[in-house]
Amino acid sequence: MKKFLVVVLSVLMVLMVFGKVTIRVISSDDFATFRKEAIKEFEKLYPDIHVELISVGYNQLYQKIVTTLAVDPSAFDVIDVDCIWTPEFVEMGLLEPVDDRLTEDMKKNILPSVMRIMQYKGKTYGLPMFDDVLFFYYNEDLLKKAGILRPPATWDEFVAFSKILQEKGLVKYGSIWGWAQAEGLICYYTLLLGSFGGRWFDENGNPAFNDEAGVKALQWMVDAIYKYKVVDPASINSDDRAMLHAVAHGDVAFGFNWSFAWTIFNDPEQSTQVGKIKVALVPSGKPGIVSNTSSGSMGLGITRGSKHKDAAWKFIAFLASRKEQKIQAIKYGAMPIWEDLYHDPEVLQKHPEFEPMLNQLYYVMDRPSLVKYTQFSRILQIYIQKALTRQMSPKEALDRAAKEVKKLLGRK
Amino acid sequence: MRKRKDISRWIMILPATILIGFALFYPVISTVIISFQDRSLFMPTMATFVGFQNYRDILSSSEFWNAMKVTVYFTVVSVGAEFVIGLFSAILLNQDFAMKGFLRALVILPWAIPTVANGVLWQWIFDANYGALNGILSQFGMIEDYINWLGEPFRALNMVIIADVWKNCWFFTIVLLGALQTIPKSYFEAAEVDGAGFWNRLFRVTLPLLRPAIAVSLVLRTSEAFKVFDIIYIMTKGGPANGTQVLSYYVYHTSFEALSLGQGAAISTIIAVVILLAALFYTRLLMREEVEINA
Repeated sequence: MKKFLVVVLSVLMVLMVFGKVTIRVISSDDFATFRKEAIKEFEKLYPDIHVELISVGYNQLYQKIVTTLAVDPSAFDVIDVDCIWTPEFVEMGLLEPVDDRLTEDMKKNILPSVMRIMQYKGKTYGLPMFDDVLFFYYNEDLLKKAGILRPPATWDEFVAFSKILQEKGLVKYGSIWGWAQAEGLICYYTLLLGSFGGRWFDENGNPAFNDEAGVKALQWMVDAIYKYKVVDPASINSDDRAMLHAVAHGDVAFGFNWSFAWTIFNDPEQSTQVGKIKVALVPSGKPGIVSNTSSGSMGLGITRGSKHKDAAWKFIAFLASRKEQKIQAIKYGAMPIWEDLYHDPEVLQKHPEFEPMLNQLYYVMDRPSLVKYTQFSRILQIYIQKALTRQMSPKEALDRAAKEVKKLLGRK
Repeated sequence: MRKRKDISRWIMILPATILIGFALFYPVISTVIISFQDRSLFMPTMATFVGFQNYRDILSSSEFWNAMKVTVYFTVVSVGAEFVIGLFSAILLNQDFAMKGFLRALVILPWAIPTVANGVLWQWIFDANYGALNGILSQFGMIEDYINWLGEPFRALNMVIIADVWKNCWFFTIVLLGALQTIPKSYFEAAEVDGAGFWNRLFRVTLPLLRPAIAVSLVLRTSEAFKVFDIIYIMTKGGPANGTQVLSYYVYHTSFEALSLGQGAAISTIIAVVILLAALFYTRLLMREEVEINA
């Protein structure tokens, strides 16, 4: 009997020493290649931690995280949090505060504008993974062929240049967008809203997107499809992932997308336009406004139900480390979270579009930060689509949306 | 002796009864209970009884009635088209000709394709820029400009219906063909001798004799079409502008995206009641005991 106990105990001890901790990470597949490579490095560094990566398409991510954690709060240790989800996830009790885990270096040197996306009511719930906005990608080669020397700076030029490109038979449509009934539509509308001088809410928290500038922005979207005919009508049923194909194959000259798109445009397996696609400032819709785009950074947080919080933090801190952020920037085109990396000679030299992308970061508007964001977003998606499919005028659509948003937020 | 047999009979079916009870009745009953509660996915313990509030909210929301309209249209048009195509293809395949066996096997193929694969397939066929449909139509000179098939609410709905009909009409073919083969050839021959043409034979001999098979297949397909979800999720996600948002997709959104389980359960219950009524209607209409042939 004693012998048996000794055997059992020693087996247990061996298991404890060599026992690996497995952490489950769910993340959007946008940077999946980078994250898979980084995981290999991480596991070399921490042989006792095994990382299981579940990568899903962005449009399935929210639902997958929420429904899975509702059933089993420990199902994931690390979750990918889009900037618009932070308030809601915290209120639902999904995220663990990490304030006491942050190093002085992190507190001081991570860009505050990016760190903000993981903060809610004075607490921090994870680390941002990149500083992302919608960038304006243009096909330099096609513009040259049309005799156009620079990318458009205003929406009028955008329309005019598109028409030239179309008349010369270089493209069927100047641009394609991702205006399908999905989150991407709200990002594109935010980009246009700000560039026409509008805003989502006024100082008192009342909807302001249905004022003159907001209507102008939506009117421009409708006109670009039906009046100027420079935007591919397929934009109405393509999301911000589906539209990449047309840009990557030179079927359109202009496209607006996140930083991960840059890797796709320069991957010979997914693109025929390698090296031809450049970045410029998003055109302006109003004199006095230089440019505007929508932010869309994402970060990783630890779930409150996680049983391996320390291991989860090690993983998050590793991906956020300067070394990994540098690889992510140089090889995958993402803008880093560390202020000092923006002056790093290696990054500046090896990331060909770093400068124009950096310029864009000065002209950014956020989507609203609301606990009921998902419902808010859906109301807007439906009414903007009603205008895009010409079932309602832009003014009517936005007025009705504003009314429903007021009701949702409990305002009279 | 007799009595013991009775008991053993009960014991034999007991495990299956319990299993079915759990798998079928438990979810149904708990859905109905949840539909009377104000319940959200993240606070299931804080559920409060709200009576018919969820039903009142839903029945007064325009989004629900829009989804109802879309669903009824989808069901009527797709099941109608599937039935007509299924019936005539079954009659055709019931004839004697050379490739009969091969063709009969072939019709099962679309029906056997998973709905998700079918949805992706048709999504590409209908693609505005790279789709086969635009390619074919423009090569034949039937359209000048490429058409964005899934870009307009009502057109998108009809396009999804086409994709659904292509896959599911063969279900009717298979069921009706099976039933047709049980009808003695002599009936048709007698009708022909009496001078009945194709349509007369169809309405006076074939259809009355197929009635039970038609009833069963119509009930099945109608309830399936009324609950349609997967092909919508794949092809349009309810868009554009909610033009293809059917009731099941609305339930999915309400329960798992807006996270309000109570309202989602209430819509589900309404769907179940509608399907039940439709099934009763069909059986009243089509399932009569005896079959008479009006010659």
